[in-house]
Amino acid sequence: MMPSQTDLTAGTVAQSGGAGGTWRALRHDVGAMLGLGYIALVTLVAVFAPVLTSISGWTPYEFDQSAIDPDLGGMPIGAWGGMGAEHWLGVEPGSGRDIFARIVYGARVSMSIALSATALTTVLGVSLGLVAGYFGGRVDLVVSRVMDFLMAFPALIFMIAVLSALPASNRSGLLVVVISVFGWPYLARIVRGQTMSLAQREFVEAARAAGASGTRIVFREILPNLRSTIIVMATLAVPGYIGTEAGLSFLGVGVVPPAPSWGQMIAASVKWYAVDPAYFVVPGVCLFLLVLSFTVLGDRLRAVVDAQEGR
Amino acid sequence: MKLHRISTAVLAAATTLALAACGGAAPDDSSGGGGFTAEPAEGGTVHVLQNADFSYLDPARGWDGGVNNFYRLVYRQLTTSAPGSSENPTEIVPDLAESLGEASDDGLTWTYTLKDGLKFDNGDPITSAEVKFGISRAWDPQIGIGSPYLKQVIDAPKGYEGPYKSGDLPTIETPDAKTVVFHLIKPFPEFDAVLSQVNATPFPVDSGAGDEFIHELIASGPYKLAEYVPGSTIKLTRNENWDPATDEVRAAKPDGWEFTIGLDPATIGERLIAGQGADVNAIAGNIQPATLPRLQTPQLKERVLEFPGICTTYMGLNTTKKPLDDVRVRQAISYAIDRTTIVNASGGTQLGAPSTTILPASVAGHKDFDLYPSQDGTGDVEAAKKLLDEAGLSDGFTMTLDIRAQESMQAQAEAVQQALERVGITVELNLIDTSTYYETIGTPSQQHDAAITGWCPDWASSAATFIPPLFDGRNIYEKGNGNLAQINDPEINERIDEIGAMTDIDAANVQWGDLDEQILELAPIVPLMVAKGVTLPGENVTGLFSSANAATGGIDYVGVGLKDPEKG
Repeated sequence: MMPSQTDLTAGTVAQSGGAGGTWRALRHDVGAMLGLGYIALVTLVAVFAPVLTSISGWTPYEFDQSAIDPDLGGMPIGAWGGMGAEHWLGVEPGSGRDIFARIVYGARVSMSIALSATALTTVLGVSLGLVAGYFGGRVDLVVSRVMDFLMAFPALIFMIAVLSALPASNRSGLLVVVISVFGWPYLARIVRGQTMSLAQREFVEAARAAGASGTRIVFREILPNLRSTIIVMATLAVPGYIGTEAGLSFLGVGVVPPAPSWGQMIAASVKWYAVDPAYFVVPGVCLFLLVLSFTVLGDRLRAVVDAQEGR
Repeated sequence: MKLHRISTAVLAAATTLALAACGGAAPDDSSGGGGFTAEPAEGGTVHVLQNADFSYLDPARGWDGGVNNFYRLVYRQLTTSAPGSSENPTEIVPDLAESLGEASDDGLTWTYTLKDGLKFDNGDPITSAEVKFGISRAWDPQIGIGSPYLKQVIDAPKGYEGPYKSGDLPTIETPDAKTVVFHLIKPFPEFDAVLSQVNATPFPVDSGAGDEFIHELIASGPYKLAEYVPGSTIKLTRNENWDPATDEVRAAKPDGWEFTIGLDPATIGERLIAGQGADVNAIAGNIQPATLPRLQTPQLKERVLEFPGICTTYMGLNTTKKPLDDVRVRQAISYAIDRTTIVNASGGTQLGAPSTTILPASVAGHKDFDLYPSQDGTGDVEAAKKLLDEAGLSDGFTMTLDIRAQESMQAQAEAVQQALERVGITVELNLIDTSTYYETIGTPSQQHDAAITGWCPDWASSAATFIPPLFDGRNIYEKGNGNLAQINDPEINERIDEIGAMTDIDAANVQWGDLDEQILELAPIVPLMVAKGVTLPGENVTGLFSSANAATGGIDYVGVGLKDPEKG
C-alpha cells in the first residue's frame, strides 16, 4: 500500500506524542499481538508470492491434469482435496490448479484492494470531514448532504450493478474506487463531528488570533488531534473492505478470472462442500482469520487509545 | 431467433443444469440402465424438478431445449419426431397428419391430410382451418419470435404480419376440412421436419391474440393445463378429448405431470440422491459435476442414466480481426487447444467428450476426422508454433476471448487460456453478464476476437440446421448473428446451397460430413467438446429414452411413466 499523505502526517505527530505508550500497552495484549502477527504473515506471503510459488513448484494458473480424476467430475485425487507433498493445500477440482499458489496470490488481491481502499477512503473521509467541520455553513451543507445520500444508498446492490456494467479490464482498480466511493462518509462523519468540537477549543482560537490561515489551522492544529481516531477507524475499516472484496468476488463481480481471489475460491468451492470440504475450508479459514485479526487489532487499539485520552 | 437458439444451446451445453440438458439421440438406454426402459404402468403423477422457468407457454414464442419437450405433452403438429423409444428417434413421423407430406414434382407444393377424431381440450374439432391459423401465427411480429423455419420456407405475401394484423394467409390452402396445402418459397426437401417445429401447432381460429397464451393454453396433446404459477409450479392433467387412437407417438401413461420450478441445482441434486416421498417419481436435468463423486455408491450408480450429447461447444474465431484473418493463425490455435483440460474443467469425462468435428456423433451426417491431431488430444504445440512462425507471429500475440460470466464457461475459458499460452498467445478474458452475452457476441460490431458458445441441431435427422446457420456467409447479420466467425467463403456458401437442395437426405448427410471437414480446414471455429447428459431419475420412474429432436438430447417426456403409480 502507498501510505497516504494524511497517514504520514498522523504518523509523525503520533511518534512525538503517545505512540510509544500505545505500543507498549498493545504489546502486552495477546489478542492484538496474535492479530498483528497474522496480518504480518499474510502481508509477507503476499509480498513474496512469486518466491513461495517457485518453492512449491506450481504457479496459480498451471493446470495439473494428473491431480484430478476425469471420471469423477474432475475431483482431486487423494484425501483432503489432494493435499500432499506435490500440492501442499490440495488442488482445485476440475482444473487441478494448486490451491497453495492460488491462496498466496489471492492474498495479494485481498490485501492490496483492502489497503488501497482504506487509504483512499481515509484521504477522502479525513479531508472532506475536516473541511465540512471547520468551515461549516454552505460547505458543510453540501458535504453532509452528499454523505447522507451515499450512506442511505443501497451500496452493495449499486456496487454489483456498476461492476457488472463496466468493462472488466481493470477490475482491481474499479473495485477500489467503487468501495471507496461508498466507504468514505463513515469516516468523514466522525471527523466532521470531532473537528466541530475541536474548532471551539482555546488553542484553535489562539492560532486564529495569531493570524493563522484556515488551511494551516485545519492541518496543523486540528488534524494532529484526530490521529488516534483516524488510526482506529482505518484499522477497523480494513476487515470490512476485505469482506466486501471477497463478497463481490463471491457474487461474480470481483477480480477477473483466472486471477485468484479468496472470495472467488469460496464461491467456487460451495458446490463441492460435500465431496471436497478441504477446498472450502482453506480459503474460508484464511479469510476468516484475516478479518478477525484486523477486527481484534482495531478493537484493542481503540480500547488503548480511549484509555489514554480518558487519562 | 438465431440468438434464441444459441442461448438455448449453450444454456444446455454449458450450465450442465438446464432442464433439457444435452443428452443423446441414441435409442439405447446407455449405461447403468437399471430398468428405466420397462413399459410404464397407467396412472400416477410424474414430477419434474427444474431450476429455470419455461420461456413461454405459447409455442409460437417459446423455442428452446427447456420448453420444446414440455410442448410435446400438450401440443401436437402435423408431423413430429418419433418417440425416444423408437428404433430411429431422429426420424420425423406423422402426428396430426395421416402420413408425411406429398410433395409436387417441383418440390414447391406440399399436401397433408388430417386424421379423424382430432380435438382440442375444449372439445372443438381440429380441422385444416385451425392448422393453418396456428401456423400463420408465426408471422406475427410480436408473437412469432420462436422457430424461424416456417417463415423461411413457406411462401407468404410480402409484408404479411400474422392473422391478427394481416388476416388470412393465402399461401396455405385448405380445400376441405381435412386437407392442408403449403406453397414454399423454394424447394425444401426436409419440409416435414419444418412442420414438426413447435410453432406449427394448431389453435382455434382467432384465439391467442396478444398475451392470451401467456398464462393459459389450448391443448391438443394428451395433457391440459391444470395450474400454472409462474416461476413456481405447473400442473398438467389428462386431456379427455385427446384420443390415443390418433396418436402413435405419445404413450402418455401417467395421469398427470407436476413441474416444480425455481429450485437450486444443488437442491435438485440432494433431493434426487435422497429420493424421499414423491421424489421417487421425479426426473430432472443434468446433475452438477460436484455431485458426480457422490453417485459412486452401488445404490445410486444403478440409478444413473447417461446420454451422449447432441450440442457442440465451440470457440468461434472472428475472421475479420487481425491476426485471426490469417488461416494459419486459426489453424495454429486449432493445433494448440488442449481438449482434455477443457473436458475436465467442464466436469470430466462423464459430462463431456472432446470433439474435433462440428457435427456431434449423434447428429446424422457426422463424419469422424481430426484435422489437427495431437497425442491424447492435449494439443500439438510444435505444429502450432510452426504455423505461427510461417505467419510471422513467432513472438505470439494477444487476443480477447468473450465469455459468459458463468462458472463452467469461465473454467473452459481458463483452460483455453492455459493451452494457448504454450504457443505464446496471450488470451484476455472478457467477462460478459449472462443476460447480455448472446446479444453481445451476436452483434459483429461488439464481438471481440473469439467467443465460446454452443449449438444444437433443430432436428438431428440431418445437418441442415447445424452447418448453414453457423457458416453461411450470407447470414451475417448486424444483430442476432449466428455466424460468429463471420466467415463468408464462396465455396462453402455454394456447397450449402447444393446440399440443401438434395432430395435424398441420406446422400445429403454424407455430403454435410464432407463439408464439415472442408470448413474446418479453414478453421473458422475450434470445436471443443460435446456435453453429455448424466441424470439421476427417481427409482419409480421408467420409460426414459432420450430424444435429440424433441428434448435436445434429454429425456423424451412422451414415453415417461411410473413403475408403480401408487408409490410416492
